[in-house]
Amino acid sequence: MAENKKYWKGIEELVDSEVVQKMRDNEFAEKLPVDEFLGDKAKLEDSSTSRRDFLKMMGFSTAAATLAACEAPIVESIPYVVAPEEIIPGIPNYYATTFSNGYDYASILVKTREGRPIKIEHNTMAGINGSANARVHASVLNLYDATRLQSPLISGKKATWSDVDSQLKKDLDSVAASGKQVVFLTSSILSPTTKKLIKEFGSQYANFKHVTYDAYSYSGKLDALKAATGKRALPIYNFQNADVIVSFGADFLGDWIGQGVSADYAKRRVPGKNMSRHLQFETNLSLTGSNADKRYKLKPSELGSALVALYNEVAKAKGVASLPGGKTALTSQIKQVAKELLKAGSKGLVVSGSNNADIEAITIGINDLLGNSGMTVDYSKRTYFRQGDDAAMKQLIADMNSGNVGALFIHNLNPVYRLANEDSFAKGLEKVSASVYFSEKNDETAQKVKYVCARHNYLESWGDAMPADGHYSLQQPLIRPLFNTRQMEDCLMAWSGKTGTYHNYLAANWQGILNGKDWQQVLHDGVFKSDTVATTTESEVTETGVAEENTEEASETSPSLNFSAQRLAKASNQGFEIQFYQKSGMGIGDLANNPWLLELPDPISRVSWDNYITISAADALEKGLNNWNESNGALNGDVVNITVNGKTIENVPVFIQPGQAHGTIGLAVGYGRSGAGKAADGVGVNAFALMNGQHNASGLSIEKAEGEHEFACVQLAHTMMGRKIVNETSLDRYLHEPPSTERGDGWNQQIVFETYKGPLGAEETNLWDDFDHETGHMWNMSIDLNLCNGCGACVIACHSENNVPVVGKEEMRKHRDMHWLRIDRYYSSDMTEEKAEEEGIGAIEKFAEMEHPAESPDVFFQPIMCQHCNHAPCETVCPVAATTHSAEGLNHMAYNRCIGTRYCANNCPYKVRRFNWFLYHDNEKNFGVNYAMNDDLGRMVLNPDVTVRSRGVMEKCSMCIQNIQYAKLEAKKAGRKLKDGDINCACESACDTGAIVFGDVNDKDSRVFKMKQDKRMYHLLEEVGTQPSVFYQTKVKNRA
Amino acid sequence: MVLTMKHHLTKGFPKLLLSLLLVLSSLFATAQEISGDAANGKKIFKTNCAACHALDRKLIGPALSDVTERRSTEWLVRWIINNQELRESGDADAIAIFEEYNGSVMTAFPNLSESDVMDILAYTIEGDKKAAPADETGGGEIAASDEKGDNTVLLLILGGILLFLVILLARVKNTLKQVKGEPTSTIIEDTDRITRAALKNSRVLTLITIVISIVFLQQLYYGLMSVGINDEYQPEQPIKFSHKLHAGENQIDCNYCHYGARKGKHSNIPSAGVCMNCHMYVQEGPKYGKEEIAKIYAAVGWDAENSQYIEGYEQKPIKWVRIHNLPDLAYFNHSQHVTAGQIACQECHGPIEEMEEVYQYSPLTMGWCINCHRETQVKVESNDYYTEMHEKLKEKYGADAKITVEMIGGLECGKCHY
Repeated sequence: MAENKKYWKGIEELVDSEVVQKMRDNEFAEKLPVDEFLGDKAKLEDSSTSRRDFLKMMGFSTAAATLAACEAPIVESIPYVVAPEEIIPGIPNYYATTFSNGYDYASILVKTREGRPIKIEHNTMAGINGSANARVHASVLNLYDATRLQSPLISGKKATWSDVDSQLKKDLDSVAASGKQVVFLTSSILSPTTKKLIKEFGSQYANFKHVTYDAYSYSGKLDALKAATGKRALPIYNFQNADVIVSFGADFLGDWIGQGVSADYAKRRVPGKNMSRHLQFETNLSLTGSNADKRYKLKPSELGSALVALYNEVAKAKGVASLPGGKTALTSQIKQVAKELLKAGSKGLVVSGSNNADIEAITIGINDLLGNSGMTVDYSKRTYFRQGDDAAMKQLIADMNSGNVGALFIHNLNPVYRLANEDSFAKGLEKVSASVYFSEKNDETAQKVKYVCARHNYLESWGDAMPADGHYSLQQPLIRPLFNTRQMEDCLMAWSGKTGTYHNYLAANWQGILNGKDWQQVLHDGVFKSDTVATTTESEVTETGVAEENTEEASETSPSLNFSAQRLAKASNQGFEIQFYQKSGMGIGDLANNPWLLELPDPISRVSWDNYITISAADALEKGLNNWNESNGALNGDVVNITVNGKTIENVPVFIQPGQAHGTIGLAVGYGRSGAGKAADGVGVNAFALMNGQHNASGLSIEKAEGEHEFACVQLAHTMMGRKIVNETSLDRYLHEPPSTERGDGWNQQIVFETYKGPLGAEETNLWDDFDHETGHMWNMSIDLNLCNGCGACVIACHSENNVPVVGKEEMRKHRDMHWLRIDRYYSSDMTEEKAEEEGIGAIEKFAEMEHPAESPDVFFQPIMCQHCNHAPCETVCPVAATTHSAEGLNHMAYNRCIGTRYCANNCPYKVRRFNWFLYHDNEKNFGVNYAMNDDLGRMVLNPDVTVRSRGVMEKCSMCIQNIQYAKLEAKKAGRKLKDGDINCACESACDTGAIVFGDVNDKDSRVFKMKQDKRMYHLLEEVGTQPSVFYQTKVKNRA
Repeated sequence: MVLTMKHHLTKGFPKLLLSLLLVLSSLFATAQEISGDAANGKKIFKTNCAACHALDRKLIGPALSDVTERRSTEWLVRWIINNQELRESGDADAIAIFEEYNGSVMTAFPNLSESDVMDILAYTIEGDKKAAPADETGGGEIAASDEKGDNTVLLLILGGILLFLVILLARVKNTLKQVKGEPTSTIIEDTDRITRAALKNSRVLTLITIVISIVFLQQLYYGLMSVGINDEYQPEQPIKFSHKLHAGENQIDCNYCHYGARKGKHSNIPSAGVCMNCHMYVQEGPKYGKEEIAKIYAAVGWDAENSQYIEGYEQKPIKWVRIHNLPDLAYFNHSQHVTAGQIACQECHGPIEEMEEVYQYSPLTMGWCINCHRETQVKVESNDYYTEMHEKLKEKYGADAKITVEMIGGLECGKCHY
């Protein structure tokens, strides 16, 4: 029924004023200047250009422009004037150096092409920390960050180095005259030469102190070690010797005390009689907890009592007096753990990860009772990754506020950001007349100090390190300084009136260390192991009088175990508790402005570009907090305000995390930066603002806030719904049962189809002709799910090797991540097929239940890249044959052939194909955060052997075909057989646990051939008949 | 063409005369003082002396063109054969010259006979007779271009004759018509009439349309297919470097300058430092003289007068124009072809040793690559890499089958595109 409705444009129309009448008559409110060029009829007729002529000309010029574009541009080819001897264009050079920023330490090799560092590799010669984690792998990108400081600043203004030198000299002279303190504040320094130089610099001043402070401090642990062993340094932990590992909140596979233990740990995680057993007590679901055989949840405040209970159980068995307290809800579990530990005896290991001296004291006590010193814990050799002293820092802040500090030098630490909990540091800083900050960024601290000394990147610097007794490493520059910067040590050389460069000073100092060994050789190797050099004395570890005073103080208050236990029993467990943690990507946020790290999804939550509070489902329900998915699959969540000890952070997103202990939340540090650069600034919240030196806090209040938060979570399905995606079994079954049975209940059951020919395996039931895979190479990859701990180093290595673009948070939200290699994480569900059958639960209800992860789930990690199917579904649907099969078992992708239909991605059962929805390179406007592809400096990090893909093109893992071809060519040139291990797949070489093995299965001596024969081997989604070249090894948990 | 020809003629002739005079006069000079075979002397000079001496300028040692005027022949013979002996004998001149050159020792040449030395001296007097032959080739060019010019002229003349014939015949026709009393018509009128008739005939019109469209489509096809293909591309280079001279006449191994080709992906353009290995001594070329070589010196900062590098010189790289441009999406590795495949440079780059200026010889299209991969045999023998693979391939293709690159996967997309 048509109605003649009248619509008003506004209330004015109702009034029907004159203006409205006028406006209705004139379509255009303002007069268009048409008359000017159309009104003059005579002029128009005079004009020789008619409309047709205009169109003709237009057409012609377009055609001409198109044709002209066919002309090839002139490409200049500019050789060196005098070519450096060691550079042959197109051939990479590797140099050994050291990454040490007071938090992470790794001895590494750096791949350079034509003088540009482009990738980080492990230094297998190193005796300690020879493998790089995700952050160190990504650190090469920070070198090319255009937002780095490009010159020194004085009071925020650009200055020259000579200005800095002269003005600072004046300031220092007046400080020296006034007799005020001159303080050097650093994070843990591993370099013996730097320490010596700081000491020599300090000797110019009567009142000099060197204070060491770690952002995520283990000062309490060090104090406890000092009290128990007489030396304030960390022992070396030997995880490869441990039969039973019990961890109380120590995330040793993620971020702990700096010692890289994952490779040692993995050595004993290979299923078999020798497999270690790993038990974890913790609050947040950590990377380490995810890998444990058994995991127990507890609140941070309960950790102490649980430890005391364990101590008492062990003590009882050993006939030692027990400690007071030890009341815990986990009594029966602790009893069981104690039994296992006692059985392992000296091969047991208890570790804890707190900054509480009492907790550490009890831990040391249990280890002593087990008698594992020299076996799993080695006190005779120490590591120096963490040396911070919280008491000294407290004293420094007090001194600064009372005006006793005249000059403050800050290195490798961003105290204004890290100590955001109280503004006392920032306030004290204002009272320091000469404040000097060595920094790569104009960050939080840089904005509050007088002198900002723009510092070299570590790839531009000389240096050394002594991470542990007897282990030395050297750091050498890989590239000339990109900006007008100077490394901290060179500044000190200038300010203490030394001649020459730090390089000379270092070489001279090393004559004492080398003991006759060749400097060039050590520089080449990067590392140097010395047995002859005596272990460092106490005074070398704690540099200054203050530190020593404090250690004395610590030893005075350092309690007997009884006192510790009493104090732990009194621990307050009021209200909600918060546990601060570090993400395996961001750490404490030193390399924050790194889009690779920001985009690396958290291994547990699979959320990137964010930090958030993790809360258990039950607590969330109680507080009315929720997570939900938008119609496009993107995750949204509520936001809360959290208050600890009167400090509040507002609008913190909530993420519901299975495995989180009840009554607790977790929050990652390292986010909420300002002045770090365009990628990092404004991402997440600064958890340091709530953190008072300790790793946890209680008495927290959570209040739901207005609004919602948009997450970039790349995983939608969190459980396996009863399918064999990650095949899992127990050690018991693995050892005693056959993998495949006729009844079909084997722990690695082969899939059999009933056909007219009788029962056939998935390989035999197919429509396609087989390729010849006997001739030449046949590349296969084995991924051991028992060794993979989900750390994500491989993902970053893949980024840097294959020029994988960063897409930013908005695109990540739409699941448009470009990672060629992702690590899927699955939780177990309380509902299983068996349970449903037993309890008679219907299919719909069963599957609905299966979608929900358990409250305390088992966690599985599964690295997934292109499976290089030999009957690939993607190849058959490509209309332009852009993706084709190779005789060597790889699935090739020719980008320039791809027209972007995305059929292949839709037909891929593994969902590993990635589509370039936008132009991610040379698109500063939209993808500027991805500076690796969008500014001239950033582009220097790109691998010149791999095409940078354009918009509208599909891409995926190529198995680093550039390296396969390179290794083959090297073998051909040398006229030798290709050896197993010649080929460097980025993910394989980044994996320090050896979970990924790549090689030629036609080579019967290869590691991958042996892995393929393993009874744990299975293909992902074998039943779809894709015959992948990638296979997995069944995950075996050490339990009955 | 005609213009340049004239230019050559006017410029070439006086030069020719001048050089002839020069040659004659120098011949007389030699005959007067020293009897020796200058040609043989030149040979000996080039192998033994040229590293440190030139005729016309000071290198490491003094210029030698007028040395016979400065010193006695006898002294020269003694000095050249063993200068140290001469110095030790206390010869004042010998010691003076030794000190003048900061005590740098000249190699003794005891293997040279006295007649050899006389030959060398003869050569120092006579000098290089290069001016004359250079102009001779110039003359040759002129002759060649003359012939080409004649062709064009001939064609023009022929055309003129034909035109003349047409007009003549038309006149004859008209005259005949006039005689018969019929109305005459001019050539233009005739053409016009025939064209009109033809255009009214639909068959002719269709035929013409078809011919024109076929020609147009064919041209369009070839035009479009040649987009991005640049064979024969011969850009002007910053230095008139002649491969013909270096690789052809002087037989310098390609790998000496393009040392990357055997080892890596790029066959690098040599750095100016590599040029200096020879051009520190060879300061003059046969064609452009010092002009082009001076450009190398300008790049590296070499003071040719004093034979030393200029201190604190800001070196400027030479901006060569790249001729062989593969698109970025294709991965090409020289060492794969040169070292593993043992393919000669000329297979792809053409007769480079004959090129005065390099041009792109091959089309560098994918079809061209693929064809070669289909036909080229892999050097499976004597390379352990292929041993096992070869056994399997023999099983597959027969014992005497020729193993081509295609058979080992050389046509797969991912081998070149990643």
